[in-house]
Amino acid sequence: MILAQTRTYTTGSGPGPGPSSSSVLEYLAPCPDQVLENVLENVLWFLTSRKDRNAASLVCRSWYRVEALTRSDLFIGNCYAVSPKRATSRFTRIRSVTLKGRPRFADFNLMPPNWGAHLAPWVSAMALTYPWLEKVHLKRMSVTDDDLALLAESFSGFKELVLVCCDGFGTSGLAIVASRCRQLKVLDLIESEVSDDDVDWISYFPDTGTCLESLIFDCVECPIDFDALERLVANSPSLKKLRLNRHVSMGQLHRLMVQAPRLTHLGTGSFSPSEDVAQGEQGPDYVSAFAACKSIVCLSGFREIIPDYLPAINPVCANLTSLNFSYANVSAEHLKPIISNCHKLQIFWVLDSICDEGLQAVAATCKELRELRVFPFEAREDIEGPVSEVGLQAVSEGCRKLESILYFCQRMTNAAVVAMSKNCPDLVVFRLCIMGRHRPDHVTGEPMDEGFGAIVMNCKKLTRLAVSGLLTDRAFAYIGKYGKIVRTLSVAFAGDSDMGLKYVLEGCPRLQKLEIRDSPFGDAALLSGLHHYYNMRFLWMSACNLSNQGCQQIAQALPRLVVEVIKHEDNLDMDENVDTLYMYRSLEGPRDDVPRFVSIL
Amino acid sequence: MGRGAASSSSSSFESSSYPSVSGESSFPQRKRDLSTDLRLGLSISTSQQDNPSTPSEQLMDWPPSKPVPRKALDSEENEYCSSTLFVKVYMEGIQIGRKLNLLAHDGYHDLIQTLDQMFNTNILWPEMDVENSAHCHVLTYEDKEGDWLIVGDVPWEMFLPSVRRLKITRADSL
Repeated sequence: MILAQTRTYTTGSGPGPGPSSSSVLEYLAPCPDQVLENVLENVLWFLTSRKDRNAASLVCRSWYRVEALTRSDLFIGNCYAVSPKRATSRFTRIRSVTLKGRPRFADFNLMPPNWGAHLAPWVSAMALTYPWLEKVHLKRMSVTDDDLALLAESFSGFKELVLVCCDGFGTSGLAIVASRCRQLKVLDLIESEVSDDDVDWISYFPDTGTCLESLIFDCVECPIDFDALERLVANSPSLKKLRLNRHVSMGQLHRLMVQAPRLTHLGTGSFSPSEDVAQGEQGPDYVSAFAACKSIVCLSGFREIIPDYLPAINPVCANLTSLNFSYANVSAEHLKPIISNCHKLQIFWVLDSICDEGLQAVAATCKELRELRVFPFEAREDIEGPVSEVGLQAVSEGCRKLESILYFCQRMTNAAVVAMSKNCPDLVVFRLCIMGRHRPDHVTGEPMDEGFGAIVMNCKKLTRLAVSGLLTDRAFAYIGKYGKIVRTLSVAFAGDSDMGLKYVLEGCPRLQKLEIRDSPFGDAALLSGLHHYYNMRFLWMSACNLSNQGCQQIAQALPRLVVEVIKHEDNLDMDENVDTLYMYRSLEGPRDDVPRFVSIL
Repeated sequence: MGRGAASSSSSSFESSSYPSVSGESSFPQRKRDLSTDLRLGLSISTSQQDNPSTPSEQLMDWPPSKPVPRKALDSEENEYCSSTLFVKVYMEGIQIGRKLNLLAHDGYHDLIQTLDQMFNTNILWPEMDVENSAHCHVLTYEDKEGDWLIVGDVPWEMFLPSVRRLKITRADSL
């Protein structure tokens, strides 16, 4: 490769001094490769899609190099797939990091605590290499107060901290972030466990004013000092998103809303007045407060709700695009007058306390609905259940633009699921949880195979699927045959034999995340996926028919796979049964922070 | 599966007294039902025979939905209350507390065992031989009125609705 060019000049035979001919490096034109790199660098700055960047980096060495220099958002779907050192060496100009740790089933008591996913090694590495880091987004990671302290100290321009389903830290860590991160715009704590260190973290935000645009702390169970919060809201002129925890009463909410009428996203605290408002006394004018907040498009909270107060939100209903009632134990009667005004609603999360009747009301009005989640008020298996196939059918007929659904119920029919597959062709996410294990179609007595089969057949955009109810291998045959773009599959208490899992592993080339529990799939089925495991982010199988031997075979055949066997309780002897298998591709081999109950094969 | 509900896993605890898995509140031992067997993967066959209408076979980890938070046990709801009652437990001298599901325990004896393991200590209890009280701890709780009382004075069933949080203090500091 020629690194430089020389130009040879011959002077003419004119007057004047000077050599008659000389070779000088008078003009060092950039070599073609350098030009290419410059152009590439300028162009690649505009490339934001992760997939496109990954593809670009594979073209050749120079593209790899330039792509690494121009990437500003680092996404790591499994914190153990790559080491902090490797990631920070390759990508040197990162402004934003997303890290995901534990597998999703850990949320449901299926994994002992302290399994891993520690932020510490990551924040240490980033503190050294990314002084200009602005955003950290974590999901299911263990974060300590020390980690938060290091983060707050190391990144002077730090702007956004989002912690989803994280734990290990407390209000003392939050206090450090609040006081040190002077450029902080976003502090979002979502479904995280925050321990109460008796530190009034809200008061640690600077009194002189903040750049806060979003403050979400509804999952923080500790009481907060309301006066400090009120001062903070008054001092944060850019605040658009505010989600309070349940220790904020309605009266206090009213005061905050008066301070911040430009809010776009509001999470109410407890939607009931505090005890010091006497019965019958004229309370604050909630309706006016909501009417004054003309920009609200997203409402949530409503914990400990007193349904009589619900009509207060009427002024904002016509503009709402997102409504989260998943903590509100409201009936269909309470819901109907509210939902009938929500014509623009796109996202709706709700408890099944609204019953099929409530869902029918949703279907009648919310024609723009894209995402629906119906959570169980009582997560049990043996009760009648307030929502059923009737609600699902109604939603499928009324909400034709539906893209994502999560539906918990006690009983379901194939007919309703088939109807949804035909009425809602845009479905990308279909998660149906029939809470009774192995429950068949309650009208025909048949397995739910045909319903789920119709979903994979008719919903051509489907990438995420969760199945339930009585399912035979046939359901899996359908998934393998038609689910060609399925990336995430969740299976529980389903299938008859190894064939079920084989159909899926052999038929779904885009499968990335597979989580299975309590299903009769054994070693032979596991082995049928050898060709695919390097293309997956992870495989989880718990309470299936796996043996140590089978898992060993996988580990030996695929050296770049980390095969973790997780034992439960005191059953730490290596017997033949595998309680839980969690395996994932990794560049680093076995991790060095393995707890006692995990063995890596 | 999110909706903002607090996850039921306890916070990780930076300490040398790392408790064993069996004591963890988020991975409770329900001796009353089959969930232990199901977790060990031993009962694929029994799960086929499960009669789903029997409440005693309620699994701790199914369905995959985090419980709706409710105001402790003093809410006058249906008789089947939330299957969890998490309270914070602090040990004197340690800044960060733990969380414990009281409903996962049969009674005081069970609770003391869990706490002993969790905090790597010995909690004084009337039936115990008090050999070396200097190194023992005492368990107290804060009730609804904000008073701190010794755990064990009232029957278990009366204790549950009134307890707000627990504290383990050194026996010689009382």
